[in-house]
Amino acid sequence: MSLTRRHMLASTMATVACAVALLAPKHTRGADEAEDFLFRLTGRKATPSNRLRLMMPAEFSTGYTVPMSISVDSPMTEADHVKSVRIFAPKNPLVEVAQFHFVPGRSLPRVSTRVRLAAPQHVVALAEMSDGNLLMATAWVAVATNGCL
Amino acid sequence: MTTPIPRVMVPGSVTRNEVFTVKAIIQHQMETGLRTDSAGKTIPRKIINQFVCRYGELEVFRADLHEAVSANPFLEFQLLATENGRLEFSWREDGGATYSLFHDIVVT
Repeated sequence: MSLTRRHMLASTMATVACAVALLAPKHTRGADEAEDFLFRLTGRKATPSNRLRLMMPAEFSTGYTVPMSISVDSPMTEADHVKSVRIFAPKNPLVEVAQFHFVPGRSLPRVSTRVRLAAPQHVVALAEMSDGNLLMATAWVAVATNGCL
Repeated sequence: MTTPIPRVMVPGSVTRNEVFTVKAIIQHQMETGLRTDSAGKTIPRKIINQFVCRYGELEVFRADLHEAVSANPFLEFQLLATENGRLEFSWREDGGATYSLFHDIVVT
């Protein structure tokens, strides 16, 4: 293969494209992957929303007990409430983590627990609202050890 | 395997329409079914697969748990104080065993 100007240009463009993709903030890449992941899993489109918050440490020493909190902004009335929140760990051998169910006027959509993570990954939260909308949020967690052994 | 021991932390009395926090924990291995013993045989899955909180007779909070929930599963959640009544907490284990606790709450 001769090294022409055209080849050089093409390869430079490809390199630049890769670099741009890698430079995109980690959380936006996580959101895109999570949207695809949720679509494959549920067959429905979830909207990234900051009404749903998934709080986890960005780095944690053990994968066995990683703290996790979720909360959703919602009036929790009969007409407008959160039905459930599901948690997924896409890099775990079994991706489902938990599902929390709430009752309007009786419980608030806020939960804390501890989970196992097999590898550094974007943990995904999916909230199902009473109007049928699906909201999603992700949190990047780098665990130092595999918690699923 | 030891018998799972459940524990909860709930305020003794709350004012009406106040939000109160419940902390619930049960001592449990949460065996995932992914591990093998020294002979190379799979250790069967045995986890707490569901936690339910009832207030009076009504289910007010439920958690479906999978293998990725840590051993000694801990849950902290929030309820609205509506009336005097009994809180019932129950944990369901693979195989059908359930472990329950009750707590009478005074709403002023």
